[in-house]
Amino acid sequence: MTNQQTTRVQITSGMFIAMIVNLIFVKAIGVTQGVIARAVGQDMWLATLLGTLQGVAVMYITYVAIRKTPNLDFMALSERLLGKWIAKVIALIIFLFFLAGFGPIMITFVYHLQEYFLPEAPLYLFIVAPLLVGLLGCFYGLEVMARLALVGLLFIFLLNVLIIMGSTNEFDIRNLLPVMENGFPRTFAASLNFDADWALATMLAAVVLPSVKNADKTGGKNGMIGIAASGLLTMIWPILEGAVLSAEVTSQYTVSCMKLARNAHMGHFLQRYEMIMIALYSIPVLFEVMFCIYATSISAAKIAGLKSNKAMIPIVSVILGCFGYWIVDDHFRAIDYLENYWPRIALPIAFGLPVLLLMLRLMLGKKLNKA
Amino acid sequence: MSTAQEKLQEQLAASFTPQLADNAAVLDQILGKSADMQQRELKLCGSSEYPGVCCFVDGLADTSIIEAILKALIVFGSDLHRDPAAMPTAEEICTTLMVNASAKPCRQVRDGIAGIVSGDTLVLIQGLDEAILVSSKGWKDRSIEEPSSENNVRGPRDGFTESIRTNTAHVRRRIKDPLLRFDATVVGTRTQTDINIAYIQDLVKEGLVEEVKRRLKRIKIDAILESGYIEELIEDAPLSPFNTVQSTERPDKVASALLEGRVAIFIDNTPVVLIVPTFFWQFIQAPDDYYNRYWVGSFFRCVRYLALIISLVLPSIYVMLVSFHHEMIPTSLALTIASGREVVPFPVLLEAIMLEIAFELMREAGLRMPKPIGQAVSIVGSLIIGQAAVAAGLVSPFMVIVVAITEISSFAIPSYSSSLALRIFRFPLLIASGTFGLLGFATVFFALMLHALSIRSFGESYMAPASPFRPSDQRDMLLRMPIWMMNDRPEFAQDTKRMGEQQMPTQQTRKGG
Repeated sequence: MTNQQTTRVQITSGMFIAMIVNLIFVKAIGVTQGVIARAVGQDMWLATLLGTLQGVAVMYITYVAIRKTPNLDFMALSERLLGKWIAKVIALIIFLFFLAGFGPIMITFVYHLQEYFLPEAPLYLFIVAPLLVGLLGCFYGLEVMARLALVGLLFIFLLNVLIIMGSTNEFDIRNLLPVMENGFPRTFAASLNFDADWALATMLAAVVLPSVKNADKTGGKNGMIGIAASGLLTMIWPILEGAVLSAEVTSQYTVSCMKLARNAHMGHFLQRYEMIMIALYSIPVLFEVMFCIYATSISAAKIAGLKSNKAMIPIVSVILGCFGYWIVDDHFRAIDYLENYWPRIALPIAFGLPVLLLMLRLMLGKKLNKA
Repeated sequence: MSTAQEKLQEQLAASFTPQLADNAAVLDQILGKSADMQQRELKLCGSSEYPGVCCFVDGLADTSIIEAILKALIVFGSDLHRDPAAMPTAEEICTTLMVNASAKPCRQVRDGIAGIVSGDTLVLIQGLDEAILVSSKGWKDRSIEEPSSENNVRGPRDGFTESIRTNTAHVRRRIKDPLLRFDATVVGTRTQTDINIAYIQDLVKEGLVEEVKRRLKRIKIDAILESGYIEELIEDAPLSPFNTVQSTERPDKVASALLEGRVAIFIDNTPVVLIVPTFFWQFIQAPDDYYNRYWVGSFFRCVRYLALIISLVLPSIYVMLVSFHHEMIPTSLALTIASGREVVPFPVLLEAIMLEIAFELMREAGLRMPKPIGQAVSIVGSLIIGQAAVAAGLVSPFMVIVVAITEISSFAIPSYSSSLALRIFRFPLLIASGTFGLLGFATVFFALMLHALSIRSFGESYMAPASPFRPSDQRDMLLRMPIWMMNDRPEFAQDTKRMGEQQMPTQQTRKGG
């Protein structure tokens, strides 16, 4: 059993939903939309919608895999089903998943802050600072992280309100036409980029669902609400990016949301307020960093056979920091990793692991009941 | 433990004996020949076979009560022709001779000594193996005044004093509920400070009273001179600058807290009462919010929230914008700031720190000096030095405005102790913003937020009801909803229903109008 179960941390449904939204939103509104725009142009929002529906389905599968044993996460479940060593393999997969996921998160964080606000600051600052906050949050535990996510959700709402207020003047719906220009297959293929975003959320559910209150009864519903809410909150951005900037412009930027934010203005006096938006954006992005540290420390503790993840937090932070630095240090490497490698790592795990565990549960369910 | 202490403990553990001389000798040994210790000799019922002695502390005991004791023991006994031999026990004397409201037999020397040093009078009589302890506390108290640190425009003006019993009476006068309880305990091996734990039995959060008692019981300290000692010894986050125990000098605040199911801790010799559990947002709330109409209360509460944000982040944001992100400042404003800073030789961070420190110096000097001089220092500091510094080109006028607004905002926060914590937080935020721009600001701000989110106060999350979000408690958080809408107590109270249904006043329609 992992640490958060032994200490009986309980997070509410609202916190669980907030964690999902925080984890998906950050990368999905800008970096992902840039990638999707390069693939399907103004149909970014449709690809996001399709991705959301797939995410809802996979979240439900994740819930079904856990439902009958709501006190077991994926690692504990696999241990019960197949023994200690298989559980370690599952833990290793989860560890690698979040390690790989840390790359896009750092790309999002660093390229937002360094390129748009502090171009002369050294890169290591942008790696160390979020890791320090993440480390602190991890030491405080899952409950505190979940509470921060709740604040982050509020900030996301405010951020969306600000971007809508600042962008409506230049909103031109003709920029979103024609719809489905590239056909369904290409739009669906592009939606896989958004799938790589919600993959983090379904894996979050695989790790923290046992800590959610009444996970067996409402966990699935809340998880799906979380994905759907994330999809809706995210979809505002591709619609605005397409209608205000145009798909052509959006596709030219790595961080297209910043272009939209920089473009937003209210009246003649407040011509630029992207810094306010970035301040609001900081909580979700720091939450992402925090959760990556948490999930990797939990899985590393499982691999090492430790009861508490606390000892692993500094170690995994260093590993994540080194990997993050290596990824963002080179723009070409970062974009290549983001567009080609990360979806190939995320999707098989996000789709495969819940399905695998569900099948194992169906086949070896009796063993679980006996235990 | 030293030899003297061991000997003292041995003497205190002993019982009184029938020999008056022995008992008097023990008292002499323990209390010594202190100038304020008084021993008044007497003869019970005027009989020389039954001499006695009254022991009390001059200044603590009320002399009129002591005179009443002496009159009862000497004069009434003689007048009534009572035979001392017919009153063989202290109990008998208490019930047949004494007219004092509170008088009880006392067997242990420890209890007798504790009574004397608390202002009671100990009566020792030859032939009795018990003493009589008569309540005679009667020292001079400060009169009831309006709390200087918690002013209000509308509402009661009385504040707590240094007398614990006066303070508990203030609350009892407001809550005439028989279930209001005051549990007594003593903390401090030398000061023997009286502490009362107040709560309403059927409202208080389950297990809270026991938890408060447990934390008080584990305190091993020689002296409690003020409630701050207790606060630091029982709080949940001892390393945090946030105060997780609310302190107040206002009886109405304590009464309100008790009615919400919380616990108040009264400490003798201080006008400050502690309230637990406490939440961060309570430091923004003022009693006026509830005494004025809800529109006014809500508006001024919003103003205070604004003051909270300004006092915490305004200098940091200004420094961050001017140092790193000047492109974010509207052009006309940026030009005004730039023209003001043209002659200033210091970086904006240094300028801000200098002004902040100067202001803290003025505040501290104004606080410590005698009041008339303190005001003079404030005027000299704020007007003359501020003006001179701008004229000399040491600071920019804009920075003076920023720091002044920040300081005014910090004074708008009703809880003084809480505004002090915010002041402390302002400096790391300022330095981080001035050093690393938005990155530094975000890092320190969210580290602070994480810390605040991690704190608990007696089992309750410090940032509740915002996080964790409690929908029913939102009626008294950001806004102050009308009283008739606040029909529930906080979720942790045993009985959450505080009023009947449909309490909103409705206009009566006149018949036959």
